[in-house]
Amino acid sequence: MATEVGVNKINRRDFLRAGLVFGAGAAGLAAGYAAVPDVFTRAVYAAKKDGVSNDRVLVMVQLAGGNDGLQTVMPLRSSTYRDMRPQLSKAVDSALPLDTDWGLNKELGGIKKLYDQGKVAVVQGVGYPDPSESHFDSIRVWETGDPTRRQIDGWLGKTIAQNYDSAGHPLVGCACGTTAVPGALRDLQATLTVINGQQSFKFYGGDEMERAAGALYTSTPGIYGALFDTAVATARDTVAQLRTSAAKYVPKAAYDDKVRLVYASKNQLGAALQLAAELIVSGAGPKILHVTLGGFDTHFTEKDRHDSLMAYLDTAISAFHQDLAAHGMSDRVLIATWSEFGRRPRENASAGTDHGTVAPVFLIGDPVKGGLYGEGPDLTKLDGAGNPIYSTDFRSVYQEILASHLVVDPREVLDQTFEKLSLVKPPALAATTP
Amino acid sequence: MAERAVVPSSPAPTARPAPARKRRTSLVDRRTVLSAAIAGGVGVGVARLLPWHRVVEVDPPELTKQALATRSALDWVSPLGDEATRVAHLLRRTSFGYTAAELESAVSDGYRRTVDRLIETPPAEPPALAGADEASAAKPLRLQALAQWWVDWMMKTPTPFAEHMTLFWHGHFTSDFQKVGLQDPYLYWQDRTWRRFFHSDLKTMLTQVTIDPAMLRYLDLATSSGRAPNENYSRELMELFTLGVGHYTEDDVKAAAKGLAGWRFPLTKAMIDAQVANVIKRTGKPPKFTPKPDAVKTGIFVPARAYKGPAFTYLGETKAWTPEAVLDKILEQDSLAPFLTQKLLTDLVATDVDDSTVTRIADRFRKSGYDTKTLMSDVLTSDEFASAKAYRALVKSPTEAMVSAAKALQAPQLSRLIVNSGQGMGQLLFDPPTVGGWPDNASWISSTSMLARINFVTSALAQMKQVPSAASAHAQFLDSTLGPQTLAYLDATTDDRRRWAAVLSSAEFQLK
Repeated sequence: MATEVGVNKINRRDFLRAGLVFGAGAAGLAAGYAAVPDVFTRAVYAAKKDGVSNDRVLVMVQLAGGNDGLQTVMPLRSSTYRDMRPQLSKAVDSALPLDTDWGLNKELGGIKKLYDQGKVAVVQGVGYPDPSESHFDSIRVWETGDPTRRQIDGWLGKTIAQNYDSAGHPLVGCACGTTAVPGALRDLQATLTVINGQQSFKFYGGDEMERAAGALYTSTPGIYGALFDTAVATARDTVAQLRTSAAKYVPKAAYDDKVRLVYASKNQLGAALQLAAELIVSGAGPKILHVTLGGFDTHFTEKDRHDSLMAYLDTAISAFHQDLAAHGMSDRVLIATWSEFGRRPRENASAGTDHGTVAPVFLIGDPVKGGLYGEGPDLTKLDGAGNPIYSTDFRSVYQEILASHLVVDPREVLDQTFEKLSLVKPPALAATTP
Repeated sequence: MAERAVVPSSPAPTARPAPARKRRTSLVDRRTVLSAAIAGGVGVGVARLLPWHRVVEVDPPELTKQALATRSALDWVSPLGDEATRVAHLLRRTSFGYTAAELESAVSDGYRRTVDRLIETPPAEPPALAGADEASAAKPLRLQALAQWWVDWMMKTPTPFAEHMTLFWHGHFTSDFQKVGLQDPYLYWQDRTWRRFFHSDLKTMLTQVTIDPAMLRYLDLATSSGRAPNENYSRELMELFTLGVGHYTEDDVKAAAKGLAGWRFPLTKAMIDAQVANVIKRTGKPPKFTPKPDAVKTGIFVPARAYKGPAFTYLGETKAWTPEAVLDKILEQDSLAPFLTQKLLTDLVATDVDDSTVTRIADRFRKSGYDTKTLMSDVLTSDEFASAKAYRALVKSPTEAMVSAAKALQAPQLSRLIVNSGQGMGQLLFDPPTVGGWPDNASWISSTSMLARINFVTSALAQMKQVPSAASAHAQFLDSTLGPQTLAYLDATTDDRRRWAAVLSSAEFQLK
């Protein structure tokens, strides 16, 4: 433990003093990184504060569009549910029971297997007070961790800014499989990277174009100037890191994005998680990763669409976990799902469902204390819009992730204290929460 | 020869008192040189001197917290006092950029005549896309062909502002190919319909949006019935298309869903033939009932599917609601004109136009009977449009950046590369990321999207056997208003290809 803390206390400036080159625009960047032994590469990212030193990684999986919680974790014995959903409730017959009352969607076989191994916590009835049924409003609430809509910075971005030294280490916070920074990661004080796909993440013109880009994007004037310069510097840093990390990583699971042509999913979840695995396994030093699976806005003919999305999610997450386990890294990684809202219990005439409120959150991985948590939605007590009332505030889940998994101070991110949940085993070598 | 402006060796701390904004650092009359450059008579020697390096230190009190945190210590000095530059600004904002010849012609017309031409000329229709009207399950639209057809027209059209607005409405009244599908002509039709919004009014537009076949599928109105309404279209119609969140209640969403229900898709002969062939293939015989093709390219109202219950309340009024009455009620709402005016100002002027300007333009928009020409004209002729604050205050969308680059290079053959490169920058045509459309400005700037923008320029130049002279590219396409690094780089570079690469991948070019 003494060694671990000592290593973790080495910070970026120490490496600079030792002659290793970090940061934007340095020609010797790739060489600098290659020269750093693995254990140092990892440690260097966790050094902003004393005490915030562990090798845990968080992977947030966004189910965009509003995931139907009642088709994900189904009430097995509710006649109200069958009455409200004459078409969709047929899925109950093939559900995978978690206990006598609740069962997983039949397509979640891989996640069920992990649940049986005690590696999945299903938190039911997660939502927030005075819920919004607008996608954008509610996404913002979940991204910022603030139902009053006053916060601008994302809760993950804040976590990075307050706890990790991200300057020159863009992979500390990384969105995989997209082209824009997701709102949850946004924070002006944090450096983040966005990688659409690792194959294409390079400068086509080779070194000359890379150098030209570095020269052009330095002290750019105007309101977007710093943003441009940071984006290009981050791209150059990331290109250098991927060059070294790709050589160290061979996937040990089959990631498949051709499961079926999944309706309107917009993102290749398998490829995004494979990239996440590469960053984790190769020692590129990520702490917080974000991936998205879209297509959950199932207003019509929901059954098949939602089932294929569940199958896609299940396949991708299973492969990711298997890959990490084969590399001996699964004890470090927590996967957590989120979605802006669940869906209305009563199905509509299009055999779909409209926007709702609560939904379950899944925490998956070796660090998890498995089980079924929270209270499932009570379909006999609906609000004025016909939606169930939340039983667990989503910020209780965030609080638990921050406190027990990343071992950082949740109050600095969430401003308040919420009902305590116990879902994650803290890392063995972690210092206590400050 | 003119002397070089002094380039600060490092950004000045913002705490230092900012000097008064200097209008000009050059001894050369900029207009003379710009005209000369356009005429093509300027050689590399002169161009390399770049005497108009226009940056000043930032004046902190003007800034919001966010701007303070992201902006650099230098700011652009607006050259928009100069009419020729104002014309270039106008074309960048409205027309997917310009070729050198287009700029020259617009400069000789002057600013006011160019505005009139842009707004008054009715939108030129693109040529038909072969096979698109006959798209069916047997022969679907090809997304690549559809997108390339549109990009080709962005470059060739004589009415580029109409194309800009078509893309604007595509990002506002969104639909995407993933949900709408390509097995019928609907997305192709939608693009043609949105183009006609250029000269239109909101009542006509909202009617056409509501019954547009691609929209009927994208937001599920065609599967909504009075008996069991689907709220998807109702909600987004009010939240994203017309009123904005906070100007209606959840009950209004449910009410409008009832009032709007009752539509079905139009069928073409090709769609019906493909269905019949499919039934024969599956069952060995033709279907018992074959529908007739519809004569229209819009949704068809089926009274039997509409709401038939008692009167209900929508936006404070209780009566029997029809789809038309729902749209009329929306047109009466006070938040409608400011909501759309704000969105267009954000697209064409700046992200922080003050409320009084929004109110002024919105009032005239409403009083004109929601006439689009009035709205566009008021925006382009507002003082704010050419104000110093608006200069380089917006980031080009990926499509704008790529089409402008292809125009600058006089290379319409790049349309295929443009279509293939959009996704990596976050903009695949006919596939906005959400029902809210595309993000804008700062959201376009990420490590991966900047890499994709720079890589596009490299690929574009690699595809060209010959490139035009880049001697005056910095004047024609960057207003000779350069940041210190761009200035230094261009000053040290004489090769045409390298100069084009720098000009088109510079931050200056990404802005509009």
